Amino acid sequence: MAKKAMNICNVCCLLLYITTAVLASRDFYKILGVSKTASIRDIKKAYRKLALQLHPDRNPDDPKAQDKFADLGAAYEVLSDEEKRKQYDTYGEDGLKEGHHSSHNDIFSSFFGDFGFMFGGNRQQQDRNIPRGNDIVLDLEVTLEEVYSGNFVEVVRNKPVAKEAPGKRKCNCRQEMKTTQLGPGRFQMTQEMVCDECPNVKLVNEERTLEVEIEQGVRDEMEYPFIGEGEPHIDGEPGDLRFRIKVLKHPVFERRGDDLYTNVTISLVEALVGFEMDIVHLDGHKVHIVRDKITKPGARMWKKGEGLPNFDNINIRGSLIITFDVEFPQTQLDDQQKDGIQSILKQESVQKVYNGLQGY
Amino acid sequence: SGQQSVTGVESADDANSYWQIRGKPARPCQRGSAIKCGQAIRITHMKTGRNLHTHHFSSPLSNNQEVSAFGESGEGDDLDVWTVQCEGVYWERDDPVRFKHVGTEVFLSVTGEQYGHPIRGQREVHGMSSPNQHTWWRTMEGVFIQPSQEPLRHDEL
Repeated sequence: MAKKAMNICNVCCLLLYITTAVLASRDFYKILGVSKTASIRDIKKAYRKLALQLHPDRNPDDPKAQDKFADLGAAYEVLSDEEKRKQYDTYGEDGLKEGHHSSHNDIFSSFFGDFGFMFGGNRQQQDRNIPRGNDIVLDLEVTLEEVYSGNFVEVVRNKPVAKEAPGKRKCNCRQEMKTTQLGPGRFQMTQEMVCDECPNVKLVNEERTLEVEIEQGVRDEMEYPFIGEGEPHIDGEPGDLRFRIKVLKHPVFERRGDDLYTNVTISLVEALVGFEMDIVHLDGHKVHIVRDKITKPGARMWKKGEGLPNFDNINIRGSLIITFDVEFPQTQLDDQQKDGIQSILKQESVQKVYNGLQGY
Repeated sequence: SGQQSVTGVESADDANSYWQIRGKPARPCQRGSAIKCGQAIRITHMKTGRNLHTHHFSSPLSNNQEVSAFGESGEGDDLDVWTVQCEGVYWERDDPVRFKHVGTEVFLSVTGEQYGHPIRGQREVHGMSSPNQHTWWRTMEGVFIQPSQEPLRHDEL
């Protein structure tokens, strides 16, 4: 009995040793919080969310913040690259080829822009005196499918960047009044342009790729800023590039807040005897509808949870509201059919006359 | 003609110099899709929402055809449409291209005439009837949107 217990103990110790040895190399999937089968879009989305949370400037009291942030950058760099991800999946972190360290700054700025420290969406207020280049606001059209499932848009930004150049240039030019003496008691005042001397700067075009996230549930006119990606300013900082979301109209669904509205035309027979059908939703999944009662024209069916995800909490969804209208038969009925219908339906003649426009 | 002027400026740091390439009226082009050589487009000024436009008016400095910016919020009229001429199948970013007006058949060009006060030094942009070395254009600074994948559909998994 004691021998058996000891063997189990040994096995446990061995297992513990092996697991710790494996954990010495980082689990990139865990760092990003994604499953092993995560799509590239899930990975980008996870990185963007965590990068904002884990940035060291946001966690000044955490001594491990730099390391956590560096781990995040390394995880994204490997898992977002098809080749590197394959190598990592097979051989682990040690199996990755050397020389793969692209700067985490580059990764961070492709999601947030050149300065990146835009917490709360506002620039730090220290730079009131530094002149700023123009902002660029660009409308970004998104489809309702993208609002439902989210997406990333890659954008190449080609912009002029101020670089040092040899020599000097004139800066801070201004008009000043200059007084010259023409003779005893006679003075002349003239306006003169006076400039300072500054290090020379030239504008060189540079390119980088930006990742714009279309978050689930995003609303019209919402903006995604990229700090420093706007127009340069020779004497100061560059402005920002802002993407303004414009949600396009959809041929099937109409958005109202988080709810979706759609219309279905059914035949008169279906309206009377019932029917079964599927509506294909924005991500391809089918919404099943069954009716076994009479469906009146204008009748509405409410499908909870089949609307759009709420931007602030994507676990909450709106509803899908389906309005039915009825298509009457196109061909006229002959006398025999008319008799048949009267006897089947047995509906008394109604012929009620009333004002239908009051209150409608 | 009293419409908004379009001029050429030398500075590369002016957000007022951005134009957006869009589809023909009532034929929106999909975000990120490449533009074919010969395709009809509209060129919309981003800050003012007016489209590059030309018509049978003389330009003030060179007596070529006046080019203006016309419309509201990106919608003007049929004289806002141009075809982009280039070699090959698609308009590549580094290609020199020409813009030929659909309607009056002129080519967008700048020959160097400069305005005086209050827009001193700005160059006149006009339309010329035949293509020449002044009718070549090239994209420079900008924001270039790449094509996207469709959001994944559940029934494809």
